[in-house]
Amino acid sequence: MRSNVILSLCLSVLCARAADARPLNVVATLPELADIATRVGGAHVKIDVLARGTEDIHQVVMRPSLVPTLNRADAVVYLGLTVEHTFLPGLLDVARNPNLREDAVKQCAGPGCVDCSEGVKILEKPSTLSRSEGEIHPNGNPHYNLDPEEGLTIARNIAAGLSRLDPDHAADYQKNLKVYLAELDAKLVEWRKWAASLKGVKAVSYHQDVPYLARFTGLEFVGTLEAKPGVAPTPMHLEKLVELMKHDKVALIVREQQYAPKLPGWLAEKTGAKVAVIGTMGKAFPETDTFIKMSEHNLKALLGAVGKAP
Amino acid sequence: MYHLIFLTFAAFLAAALAPLAGAQETPVADTRNLLKDLQQRVLKLEGAPAKSSLNAFNPAIGMALDAAFHDSNDKAAFQFRAAELGISAPVDPYLKAWTFITGSNGGVGVEEATLETTALPYNLTARGGRLFATFGRMAHFHDHELPVVERPRSLDTYIGGETQADGMEVSWLVPAGFYLNATFGTYNKMGAENDRQDNLGSRALDEFTYLGRLNTYVDLTEAQSVELGVDTAWTPKRTVTEDVTVTGSASALTTRRNTWRTLNGVDMTYRHQPSQGGLYKGLIWGTEVMQNSERRFDPATKLPTDRLRAYSGYSFVELKTSRGWRGGLMADLTEDQDDPHRLTKTFTGFLTYDVTEFQRLRLTYAEGLVNVPGAVKNHTVALQWTGIIGKHVHGFRDR
Repeated sequence: MRSNVILSLCLSVLCARAADARPLNVVATLPELADIATRVGGAHVKIDVLARGTEDIHQVVMRPSLVPTLNRADAVVYLGLTVEHTFLPGLLDVARNPNLREDAVKQCAGPGCVDCSEGVKILEKPSTLSRSEGEIHPNGNPHYNLDPEEGLTIARNIAAGLSRLDPDHAADYQKNLKVYLAELDAKLVEWRKWAASLKGVKAVSYHQDVPYLARFTGLEFVGTLEAKPGVAPTPMHLEKLVELMKHDKVALIVREQQYAPKLPGWLAEKTGAKVAVIGTMGKAFPETDTFIKMSEHNLKALLGAVGKAP
Repeated sequence: MYHLIFLTFAAFLAAALAPLAGAQETPVADTRNLLKDLQQRVLKLEGAPAKSSLNAFNPAIGMALDAAFHDSNDKAAFQFRAAELGISAPVDPYLKAWTFITGSNGGVGVEEATLETTALPYNLTARGGRLFATFGRMAHFHDHELPVVERPRSLDTYIGGETQADGMEVSWLVPAGFYLNATFGTYNKMGAENDRQDNLGSRALDEFTYLGRLNTYVDLTEAQSVELGVDTAWTPKRTVTEDVTVTGSASALTTRRNTWRTLNGVDMTYRHQPSQGGLYKGLIWGTEVMQNSERRFDPATKLPTDRLRAYSGYSFVELKTSRGWRGGLMADLTEDQDDPHRLTKTFTGFLTYDVTEFQRLRLTYAEGLVNVPGAVKNHTVALQWTGIIGKHVHGFRDR
């Protein structure tokens, strides 16, 4: 009898220890967030990702196979500012995870939500909210992941979130964060030198997702191919854009990978500007599976298009 | 003397530098004032409620406006199809609610008024009130969310419009490594235009409709997926009383025996959605087949006839070619529930242009024929214009 009790106690302790050793199930909405969460979380986290990286960030498909993943998740790491509004709230609504609830305003509500936008210097907060302005985001332009500097903010937010959810390993998360920040800081020094060649270069983009990229590079964006954010280009708008580009001597057209090359190609022919293809998420291209690789690829693409070497 | 000269010089220097010293103090004072002002504004913002208005807790509101030009066998009309007001909000930490109130030429009605739990344990969700029952793939879509202008005849006749039902549903996300969802429901009846029962009055437990549905999903490749569903809606008993005003009988016959009805369905949706096209490019193939088994009653006399088994279903393919354009074909085959040999075939071609996320134009051509001698083909052309104002979310169920 006594040996049975001792055996049961030992088993309980072993089970408890095994439970303690279970890595934190973290779901990242975007591949570059998954990359940073992997770097910060290390061996204490298991990362799944919702978007594949090649989609339009606003149009990621709500695949039911993502529902069980979110159901089991301890945390969701997301870009925020409603950029994931087409898929994250809908999936959370059916995932039935009490730690991660759908929220119409913040996208995610609950202790497991890790919003990477906290502390970001947000650009383009709309002064009026009307759909006549296109598909605008009420809290400001959400594409801050295209500013390499904001990688630091994202990493800090992820480290803070993981430390809050898993305080036992907080020291490890802070240690990993320090290593990552040092690596990114070194890259930023190099990239700022590269970006000097882009300062003042006039450009247009397909979608209004480049203000943060402009903030880092000094590129001057004067228009978009889309008539308004999320509103497809119209012939009249494109005619005006051609005139504007010729008048302003625009040298660069930024095409986000998810948009078809036909229209930017036509615009390049009409104006003589060069096209740079960038990714708005990690894994948009096969070789850009990390935040650092994504940022570097985008800068190289911009430099390549204006004939400058990094 | 030297003292006098020094004092005079000092006084002169002090007088000369006085404006300069003032000029140096002024920016400092300005900066201090500015900082004080900013500090006060920050404190105000930090201390302020999220919204100061009394409307802060008002629900989200949206409205779908749906109009069409409709030409059937050379008889045309402009149709005000619907103005659908949607209101939704969380009730408390455990519950959310929404309602859809629809106005059309037929009047104004509450389409949905649903309460849904948000915090049940064991992967459970309960819904109650007036809801769109989770039967089949497309039957619970609102009219303006269908891929065609007119609701497929198979759904319209076998269900009775949308799957509107007053009752309750519980759904369970099976804790498996793949997506498997089970739904159980009980309702007064299913289908707004289903006249077998009505929502008024009380009934025995065996006269409610009970629903069971299982649906699952498989990713075939990175770009291809299949979603499968199987369901049954079972009504154990029904009480039908002979209409003596039509039959002239001395006493009315009430029938309850052998009146059970089952409506079974299977559905399959195949999607090819290359991720580079986002939601803009791809192909959807959806098919749904239903079997209705019930004892039928003469519509005029309400006297019983035989138990009949009838089938109906549709299959459609929709191809999205670009951000704005999508088009496709739908075939619908519907057996008459009173006479299964009488089959109505409807073939529809549809072309949709999504002007923006919130405005859509759709053109359809439909050809319908019943397989009875002498029947005339029915040709219908419709141009639909749909716009959405306010909040509108396509949730997981409507995808």
